[in-house]
Order: sequence, then structure tokens, then C-alpha cells
Amino acid sequence: MPPGSVELLARGAAVSLVLAAAAIIGGTLLAIVLTTLAFSRYAVVRAVYRVYVYVVRGTPLLVLALLLFYALPALDLRTGPYIAGTLVLIIYTGALFAEVFRGGVLAIPRPQRESARSLGLPPLAMFRKIIAPLVTRYTLPPYVNVCVMTVKASSVLSIISVWELTLAAREIIERTFAVFSVLTLAAAFYFVMCFGIDRLGRRLERHLALKGFAGERA
Amino acid sequence: MSFSRWVLTYGPTYLTGLGWTAVTAAGAAGGAIIWGCALLLIRMSGGRWGARAVDAYVQLFRNTPVLLPIYLIYFALPMVGLPWPAVVCGGLALILQNGAYISEILRGSVNAIDRVQFDAARSIGLAPWNTFRKIVLPQVLVYSIPALGNQTVLLLKDTSLLSAISITELTMQAKLLTEQTGAAYEAFMVVALLYLLLVSGTEVLFRATHRAVRWR
Amino acid sequence: MIAIRGLEKSFGSARVLRGIDLDIADGEVVALIGRSGCGKTTLLRCINFLEEYEAGDIRLDGEELWYRTRADGVRRQVRDADARRMRQQMGIVFQQYNLFPHMTVLDNVLLGPRFAQRVSAAEAETLGRRLLARVGLDAKMSAYPAQLSGGQQQRVASARALAMRPQVLLLDEITSALDPELVGEVEDVIRSLLSDRIMMVLVTHALRFAREIAHRVAYLADGAIVEVGSPADVLDRPKDPSLKEFLRRVR
Repeated sequence: MPPGSVELLARGAAVSLVLAAAAIIGGTLLAIVLTTLAFSRYAVVRAVYRVYVYVVRGTPLLVLALLLFYALPALDLRTGPYIAGTLVLIIYTGALFAEVFRGGVLAIPRPQRESARSLGLPPLAMFRKIIAPLVTRYTLPPYVNVCVMTVKASSVLSIISVWELTLAAREIIERTFAVFSVLTLAAAFYFVMCFGIDRLGRRLERHLALKGFAGERA
Repeated sequence: MSFSRWVLTYGPTYLTGLGWTAVTAAGAAGGAIIWGCALLLIRMSGGRWGARAVDAYVQLFRNTPVLLPIYLIYFALPMVGLPWPAVVCGGLALILQNGAYISEILRGSVNAIDRVQFDAARSIGLAPWNTFRKIVLPQVLVYSIPALGNQTVLLLKDTSLLSAISITELTMQAKLLTEQTGAAYEAFMVVALLYLLLVSGTEVLFRATHRAVRWR
Repeated sequence: MIAIRGLEKSFGSARVLRGIDLDIADGEVVALIGRSGCGKTTLLRCINFLEEYEAGDIRLDGEELWYRTRADGVRRQVRDADARRMRQQMGIVFQQYNLFPHMTVLDNVLLGPRFAQRVSAAEAETLGRRLLARVGLDAKMSAYPAQLSGGQQQRVASARALAMRPQVLLLDEITSALDPELVGEVEDVIRSLLSDRIMMVLVTHALRFAREIAHRVAYLADGAIVEVGSPADVLDRPKDPSLKEFLRRVR
């Protein structure tokens, strides 16, 4: 292992984690908005949702990133790769989370939806008291899955020169040719982050299950 | 230059990239499905240690980004005296990772097979290998077609990462065109559209295959 | 002939079979009757080694099946390859047909001969066609199971079991899952086998059919054979009080 590489990789891992965290928070917020579009009463609005998801899921993350990377300066927003990178991750995970949430809403049994509606709750209360808790219940496992995917997806940003774990590894390799040890360590960092998120999700699931809230996996 | 003029002028140059993307994706998808079946076989008949090894393998690839095996194979093979072409290195990495996911998809479908069929297979004296080959695998593959389609789409999109090891697939092609013409926006818009087309085509193909199965 | 001696089987702490003794002579048809949970299906599954059993032995023409006891008294299962060879002397038809849904009717029938008995493709196909003709389904040869009625599927399942050219046919409530109007066609197939003088053991709730086809009827209760004899003796002149009760309820 070349000297100093452990520290470099650790710092890269921290950057990856921050990128992923920003993308998960931003993506979740975006997805909530997108999900409301998906269940709009207007066909046009629902179509906007479908097109968004179709385009974002039908295009590689790298191509989205390059498009935005090149397009943002063209729009004269002289941002660095970090802003563009975070933005593209949010756009990308937003579509994935939105599909998860939409599936969760669809999984709410019809009688529960109807009885909620029959209560005549105002939309915000309906969302907070009925939809959000039930959707959480149905979507926790796939939600955690997308979180793990987000950490892995952040590595793609290394190609548009966002300095994070993968780029740190690549730089060390190009300098020292210590391919195996450096990539193994980088993989270990990713593994800890992803596996950690997965375990955390499972504990949360169990915790909610104990409260009789997130029973069976949807 | 207008977008349509741009497409007319540079459209044909994309054909090389399109070809490489399609060939790599198709080859890697085929390889990954075969590798996934092999992993399933090891899990089902390799005893406790076989199942554990497959578990560890799946967890490893599930929790690390595919760029790492791509770099590992691409940079490490020449060092041990195997200067394989970049496409082979990249394809191999995609096969290794997607094979892990596919073995999990197939494992899920094994549960869709009615247990009593295993009684029937045993009662006519089929050996384990024949039971796997003639009874388990055909059904599991068919039940998995929709999920395999999703995975193939993910794999297809991941071929864009092979531009990082200088394979001239679509994404690389767009980068080259950007450098040549300075028109990044147009170059990548065309590529994005081409990916959408490929992805939609893949989905249609898998759906048609699923529908074509007569016995379901 | 089949000779069963002292067969014992438990599921956990529940003793399902408590020392079964039963002989089946060549060409003989034996019907097993009794309340659900009395162990008759388990007995049938043990004969085909779909269930392991803890004690007792089953012999077919003198050869001990499924287990070997070493000189030092340790009891071991036979090797898998031997178990497969032994199984090929028996055919079993299940309540739920258990056809392979992804194979045509003909392929379902051919599978055993082709891949377990290594019969040549041409020979297996001839055999398959003949058996399907015999159960009246030669016209449905290239259909898939899902396209057939329950009765037709059960006839295919019978053909599949017969394709192994077994010495024994085990029938596990083969008409229970069928709509009443489909029972007859399956019973006809079994009736037609009587002239082949193949050994048959059938688990059934259809006492009328048992009386007609079986040479002997065995009544099981709580994992033991309580009464066994000719259909007339067991069904018309029962001695055991629980059998009397059972017969009264079934009628």
C-alpha cells in the first residue's frame, strides 16, 4: 500500500458519503414532489411524471452527468463539478425514489384509501397522518436499496472529475501502479458504507415492526 | 448550427459507438445470465460452503460500485501478463457484477416453482443435475424474464462506464465529438436519445419474449 | 412382491406410522383407507422414499429398499444413485397431478425414460405415444398442462408414472382434487391397468372405487393398520369399532 493512500482514500470515502447523503436528502424531497405529480388528477401532470422517470431511468447516469456538466456552463452558471455532480445525483435518485414511493402508494389497500378519503381530511393532514406513515411501511426495504445504489452511483461522478473515493483510488493507481491493494481498500470503504446503510435499514425496519408499524415486507 | 443540421452532419459517426455499445451490452448480458445460472447451481447443490461462498460473492458485488472491478481487471491483467483488449476487461467486469444480481433474481424465482414438482422429479428418478437442467432452470428463467429485463437495462446503461477505460462506445464517441466540434450539448443529446432508444428496445424485446412463452 | 415390516415414522414428536406390516403380492391391488391424518399418504410416500423413515424395512422382490444396516447395526440410506434406480421400479401419481408446466404432455411422459433410464429418443417417443394413446390423450400430445382439464392432467400423470415401466404403481388420492364429472375418466384408466397385473397401492376416499378395484383393503388409524382383508370383509363386515364409525360417517 503506497504511503499516505489510506488517508487519501478515507478522505475520498468521506466525500462520497457527503455526496450520497446530499443526493439522498435532495432526491427524497424531489421524489415527494414527483410522486404527487404521479397521482395528480390531471393527465398532463401525470404525463410529466412519466416522461421524467422514463428519460432519467432510460439514460445512463454518466450521460446525464456529462450533459449537465457541459450544459451548466453553457447556461452560464459557472459551477464546479461538485454542484453539477450533486445536482445530477439528485435528479437521478429522485426518479428512483419516486418510483419506490409510487409503488408504496399503490400498495396501500383500497379500503384504507377510501376510508381516509371518507374522513374528509384536508390534503396535508391526509398526507402526514395516512399516506406518509403507510408508504413508509411499504417502502422501507426498497428505499434502503436505492440509498445503497446512490452511494455506488456517486462513484460515476469520478469520471466528470468530482474528487471522491473512486477518483482518489484512480489517482493513486496512476501514480503508483498499486492496483490491487488500492482498489481492494477502496472496495472495502464502499462495502462498509453500503453494507452499513443496509444493516441500518434493517434495524429500522425491525424497530418499526416492534411498534407494530412496519410488519411484513411489502 | 441547428440541432437537426448537427444530427444530419454527425449522425453517421455514432454508428461505431452504437455498435460497440450494443455488442458489449448483448455479450455481457448473455454472459451475466449464464454466470448467474452457474452461481444458482453452486448455491443449490454446492452444500453449505457453496451457498456461503455465493452469498459472500453476492454481498461483495452488491455493495461496491461496478467501476472498481472495471478498473481492477483493466489495470491488473496487463501486470500479470494478460494484455486483454479493454472491451473484454470491461465486459468481464460487467458479467461478474451483473451475474451476482441475476443469481439473486433467479433464486427468488425458484420459490415460484411448486414444491410438489420436486417430489415428482424425485419419484421418476431424475438425478439432481437433470432436475436442475430440465425442471428448475427453464421455469426459473421464464419466471425471471421481467426482472432479467430490468437488470439488462441497468447493464446496458452501465456500459457507458466503459468510456473510462477508453472503449469507443456511445459515451466515448460523444466525448470525442465534443472535442472535435465543441458542441457538447448536441453531442450528448444525441447519445441520450440513442440510449433511450436502446433501453426501450431492450424492454420491448424482453416483454415480447415473456409473452411468447406458451406454457404460462 | 412388496413386503413392509415394522415401518415407523415421526414428524418431530408426532408418531405418524407406528409399526406397519403389509404384504402386496404380484398383481395385487391394495387400497389404503382411513381418516385424514391417519398416516395412509405418509405410508405411500415412504414406500417411494419421498419421506425418510426411522425404523422398519421395505422389500421389493426380496431387495431391501432405501436403507442398509451395517454389521455394527448402523442404519444408512442407500447411495443416491441406488435410490434413483430403485425408484424407477415404482411409479407414483399425486393428488395434485404435479405435471411439469413448462413441458408438453409428451415431454412430461418422456422425461423419466429419457433422462433417468437413458432410453433412446426414438424408443422413448414410441413408448410415450403408446401410453398417451392408452390414456386417450394422443391428440393432446403437444399441448401444455395448463391447457388441459384436471382429469386430463391426471391421466397424463398416470402415463408419466407408467412410462418408467414400474412394477408398482402408487396412487395418492388421485381423484380427490377433481371435479366430480372428471373422476370417471381417471378411474377408467386405472381400471384398464388391472389386466396388466401391475401391483397397485392406492390411497383413496372413494370407497366405491376401492371396493370395485382392490383385492384387499387396509384400514389405518393413528398410524397403524387396524383391519385388513377383502373389500367385502372390511367394508361390509367391519369388526373394529372405529372402522364402523368411519364407514358410517363416509356413507
